Amino acid sequence: MVSTVIAEEQEVGGCRLLLDQIRPAIHAHLDDPVIETFGLTIGFGNEPVLSGVDLPVARHQITAIVGPSGSGKTTFLRSLNRMNDKLRGFRRSGRVELEGQDIYGAGVDPLVVRKRVGMVFQRPNPFPMSIRDNVLAGVKVHKMVPRAALADVAETRLAEVGLWPAVAGRLSDSPYRLSGGQQQLLCLARALAVAPDVLLLDEPTSSLDPVSTEAVEALLLRLAAKVSMVIVTHNLAQARRIADQVAFFCEGRLIEAGPTEAVFESPKRRETGKYLQGQFG
Amino acid sequence: MAQEAPGAGGKRPLEGRGRSLRVLRALLGAAAGVPALALAAMVAVLLVEAMPAIRYNGLGLFTSGLWSIGSLYSQPVRTGGVLHLVGAHYGALWLIVGTVESSALALLIGFPVAYGAAVIIAERLPRPLAASLGLCLEVLAGIPSVVIGLWGVLVLGPFLAHDIYPELAKLPDVPVLDFFRGGVGSGEGLLTAGLVLALMIIPIIAATSRDLLRQVPRAPKEGAAALGMTRRETFKAVQSRWIRSGVAGAAVLGLGRALGETIAVALVSGSQIQNPSNIYDTMTTIAATVVQQLDSALTDPSHLAVRSLAEVALVLLLITLAVNSLARLLVRRSARDVALPVGAGL
Ligand SMILES: Nc1ncnc2c1ncn2[C@@H]1O[C@H](COP(=O)(O)OP(=O)(O)O)[C@@H](O)[C@H]1O
Ligand SMILES: [Mg+2]
Repeated sequence: MVSTVIAEEQEVGGCRLLLDQIRPAIHAHLDDPVIETFGLTIGFGNEPVLSGVDLPVARHQITAIVGPSGSGKTTFLRSLNRMNDKLRGFRRSGRVELEGQDIYGAGVDPLVVRKRVGMVFQRPNPFPMSIRDNVLAGVKVHKMVPRAALADVAETRLAEVGLWPAVAGRLSDSPYRLSGGQQQLLCLARALAVAPDVLLLDEPTSSLDPVSTEAVEALLLRLAAKVSMVIVTHNLAQARRIADQVAFFCEGRLIEAGPTEAVFESPKRRETGKYLQGQFG
Repeated sequence: MAQEAPGAGGKRPLEGRGRSLRVLRALLGAAAGVPALALAAMVAVLLVEAMPAIRYNGLGLFTSGLWSIGSLYSQPVRTGGVLHLVGAHYGALWLIVGTVESSALALLIGFPVAYGAAVIIAERLPRPLAASLGLCLEVLAGIPSVVIGLWGVLVLGPFLAHDIYPELAKLPDVPVLDFFRGGVGSGEGLLTAGLVLALMIIPIIAATSRDLLRQVPRAPKEGAAALGMTRRETFKAVQSRWIRSGVAGAAVLGLGRALGETIAVALVSGSQIQNPSNIYDTMTTIAATVVQQLDSALTDPSHLAVRSLAEVALVLLLITLAVNSLARLLVRRSARDVALPVGAGL
């Protein structure tokens, strides 16, 4: 028995589903999830990428998605605000409910979904316009405040992400001269400016230095009171530091989800333990 | 030969390739100097060639519209040290006006069409269709201007004069539209020249804009989509700004081509040295005049006619340079506004 396990590990490395992968995922029940997926199955062309993911996303908490590369974390995240819709060969079955409404249902406008479920990407992606206009881009397009209030909104949002002191004197400057960390904060301010209910973050600190990473983490912790967040991260220490809930993906399946403490300290599935340990060394 | 082990270097010379790099740099520097030298040489030669004309014509070149070689039947006479035919008078006002008007028209008509085509090709059309339309642009860009000119004078001009211009001339009788009213002529004139020039600059501007659009990175576009922006809003926020300075450069390239285009304009402009009375009226440009007047200018025993042509050629060169510098200034300013991270791997 022991020897079989070792053989499997050698064969497959960090995380590979053990033979008993048919077992259902383990996840904590949540009373009032802001988003919940039911049997979410996604493929590109004939290639299956996600199979039968049932995951509730806790309201006003941070949910971290962890798992090896290629396990479908990004695909899952992007399916929560319909960012996958236009990708070549995208196929989906199963449901994604936002406040109980199926976002893939008939008559749902993906643009409305994306306004309510914002997204921050792996690399900062400011628009080619001034710092001020970057923050206000979404606000202007959705005509959320009268013209006269725009300046206030810009200041509030930049202050919210802690960028105001650094950029107050150069709001008309290009965002591309900011540091990577500042650019990412700007993108966060831009996403927050349209007042989303949920914020999706795909490895938002993976291109940042430790100090900027810390700034972003502190910000996310502060924001959790207002916004529900789902963050994909390769950094297990980060998941541990900021997440309330952790979901572990492997090979397109949700293996285990639950409160951070529980998943890290006493994982219920062997794959989870192996992955978490492997990364910690 | 055995491979050297790392760390086996010891006390070897560290100078290496310094000298060959210096030679390379010198060669590259010389190569980079060639265009500047060529430009300087061209200006110098034109200046020397045109000098007697510059002295004879004075400011009259810019203030007078009368272009006359003088009487070929009398002996050349000398005024202020410059030999000229009796009655020689060279006023280039209408040449300059015609050059500017026809090129401005070409840009006014051609730019929106080219930019629109580029946007549709790069953003809307499915790949295969976009590719074949792109091929059309390249073919259009490759048509010799004499062919376009011939087509313009034989086909387009008569068609416009017969079917389009009469309708256009019926525009309401408002002072600002006066330029569009009145006789429409035979189809050789300012508007036809502008249209033919537009056709010639559309491929350059469209192909450049399309290539620029294709190079806009995906990341900011996705950022816009993630804010709930429509495709149109995304385009306004990201693509249009990303390519702005490049497109301005392409427009200037097109304008430069229009300003200097010779044979097509010579064929469709009607070749009258005059201020066109309306937009359909005959006119001419500097470049067209140079090529059309050269033969008769060479018969001028005082040589002043040829020298005056050199002088207007110099004016054309200066106009083109001025347009280019102005555009460069504008482009630099708009680029500074957003300071695009060129090749920053976004
Ligand atoms: N647009 C796409 N087209 C085809 N396959 C894709 C696409 N996006 C992702 N995939 C595939 O889906 C799998 C999961 O990718 P992804 O969600 O990016 O994983 P992760 O973010 O966990 O690293 C990978 O095998 C990847 O090759
Ligand atoms: Mg990913």
